[in-house]
Amino acid sequence: MTDLLSNLALGFGVAFSGMNLFLCLIGAIVGTLVGVLPGVGPLATIAMLLPITFGLPPVGALIMLAGIYYGAQYGGSTTSILVNIPGEASSVVTTLDGHQMARQGRAGPALAIAAIGSFFAGCVSTVLVAALGAPLTSVALMFGPAEYFSLMVLGLVFAVVLARGSVVKAVAMVMMGLLMSMVGSDIETGQSRMAFDVPELSDGIGFIVVAMGVFGFAEIMRNLEQESSRSIVHAKLTGLMPTWPDLKAASGAIMRGTVLGSILGILPGGGAVIAAFAAYTFEKKMAKDPSRFGRGAIEGVAAPESANNAAAQTSFIPLLTLGIPPNAVMALMVGAMTIHGIVPGPQVMTKQPELFWGMIASMWLGNLMLVIINLPMVGVWVRLLRVPYRLLFPAIIIFCAIGVYSLNNAPFDAVMTALFGIIGYWLVKHDFEPAPMLLGFVLGPLMEENLRRAMLIARGDPSTFVTRPISGALIALAAFLLVLAVLPMIRHKRDEVFVESEG
Amino acid sequence: MSEGVQASPGVPRGGSRIRDPRDFYGGLALIALGVFALWASRDLPGMHGFAFGPGTAPRMFAIVLIGLGAVIAGMGLITEGAAVERYEITGPTLINLAYILVVSAQTFSFKMVALAVLVLGVILSVIGLMGPRRNLVRGPLFITLSVLIFAMAVRPLGLVIASYFSILAASFATHEVRPLEALIWSAVLSAFCVLLFPIALNLPLQLWPTNLSWASLLSFR
Repeated sequence: MTDLLSNLALGFGVAFSGMNLFLCLIGAIVGTLVGVLPGVGPLATIAMLLPITFGLPPVGALIMLAGIYYGAQYGGSTTSILVNIPGEASSVVTTLDGHQMARQGRAGPALAIAAIGSFFAGCVSTVLVAALGAPLTSVALMFGPAEYFSLMVLGLVFAVVLARGSVVKAVAMVMMGLLMSMVGSDIETGQSRMAFDVPELSDGIGFIVVAMGVFGFAEIMRNLEQESSRSIVHAKLTGLMPTWPDLKAASGAIMRGTVLGSILGILPGGGAVIAAFAAYTFEKKMAKDPSRFGRGAIEGVAAPESANNAAAQTSFIPLLTLGIPPNAVMALMVGAMTIHGIVPGPQVMTKQPELFWGMIASMWLGNLMLVIINLPMVGVWVRLLRVPYRLLFPAIIIFCAIGVYSLNNAPFDAVMTALFGIIGYWLVKHDFEPAPMLLGFVLGPLMEENLRRAMLIARGDPSTFVTRPISGALIALAAFLLVLAVLPMIRHKRDEVFVESEG
Repeated sequence: MSEGVQASPGVPRGGSRIRDPRDFYGGLALIALGVFALWASRDLPGMHGFAFGPGTAPRMFAIVLIGLGAVIAGMGLITEGAAVERYEITGPTLINLAYILVVSAQTFSFKMVALAVLVLGVILSVIGLMGPRRNLVRGPLFITLSVLIFAMAVRPLGLVIASYFSILAASFATHEVRPLEALIWSAVLSAFCVLLFPIALNLPLQLWPTNLSWASLLSFR
């Protein structure tokens, strides 16, 4: 306990330094600014803003990125409430009740409760990250290549199980990601693989290139298809603060959302999106009068908003302790860390304690700043939303293009991003979810490396993954989850076929 | 890659009809990708003894992908599903591929292939833009063009010119575009980009053309 406190003190010492405080603030503001734009989620936001952290020292850069992440998350809920357009997937459920509240003239309380819920969730999960960091790190030290491989398999299976839609298609997406991650140089021999002698490909396809194409450009292409009719709430935002009954009604929901979100965030493959959905459903089931939901129930805003923020934060746990990104946003964080020369994993905590704890402290600070800056600035965000999309999207595209180009000063990267934009657009049209692909893409090299090592150690005996106790347990859990997810689908499909042939 | 297949509900339930075009064509594309990967990794050494070679993992993933693609396509044949939302991406895909081919081409004949792909892509795009589905063509096409213009121009012509024309091209990705407004907005935005990236953030970006020559312009790098 004293350890925890002294560590946190160290962290706050780092985070409260003038420079880092400033970076966190800038990150939160810029993150919100971009996150408010429709169709630009945290992933695209971080990818787009990554270049602005290049010149910073690693601690400052990561603090700023964390600020951007929370800002983007929060900006997404602002648009959900005010315009009924979720800025990103994790605030889709917020539109249900949030926008209804706004239409009833209660946009102020809705925004405030979202901020308060997020802040509360942020406080709890910051402590959780700090408390779980050390024990999990010691677990990580017991891991060998076989365990790491199995853990990543479990993470991918989680991503597949939790993905929307068909399990087979999600697995296929993971495979596609793994396959794409093989492009470049072989880790052991350095031999060029599937790179066709293109020098820009010899280092592999950049993660940012894939992420920005599939999530940024593809999303814009989709948005452009729809007519740009948006129902912005024009009513003046009066009475920002929620009333006492509001707070009382929301407090339980915030609590439950936080717990649910924290748990789902830690699980590999989970994350903010699922947390928000789960919290909303749970709240609706818990409610005495479920019919209020969808008509402006304040719990319907409080629960998912707390949950997505809690999950956003606790998903740092697997990344910081095990070095395994549990979802696509964290995968991007790996990319960002690598650019700054930090290899995420258990060694971060022991070798760079000021970075580890500084980042954790800045998570809490970032949340506080969001409450302080966002509530008074809601008016600004609303005005930003009135800017027509035809002016907004070219700005997003050029920022993305410059951002991708400046990663390696390689125009080729920008071209590849455009190609991945088309691929992402095609995937969505064919109902493939890109998130598992991205996770597979990030984990690919790590998985291959550990698989090869484990096989080498076991002298080519694949049973090593099942016979080693920790690895075996992880694999068993993964298999169990996969079966659990596939069974209802098979039954469902069979029924469908059956009905077909009868009719 | 542009099957805007519409499943019409009135069609009698026969055996030959594709019931879930989204899955069927999606699965076929995954199979194609897997086969392509197998071909691309054909001369990588595989297992030696019990140690993995560089080619082992790519082939493993490719084979699993082909298998899954077959399952998805197969299920698309037997189970009912939604129609593919319409899209039109052949033109921009070809243009983009042509660009990549030109950059990576080492032989003359390879460059000619790239040129042919480019011409085909442009022709298809122009036809698409004049056709009834022009609003579907616009988005992917102009966004691709915008990025390609940026990629082609940023080195030889500098950030100012590259971003101006890139933004201008992007503006045409929607049918709501107002040409005069787009001209002005591109200038404003590119000025902002100049202030933000090279000046405020200190990124090493050339602002204006330097030692401009046809060779540098046509190197596409």
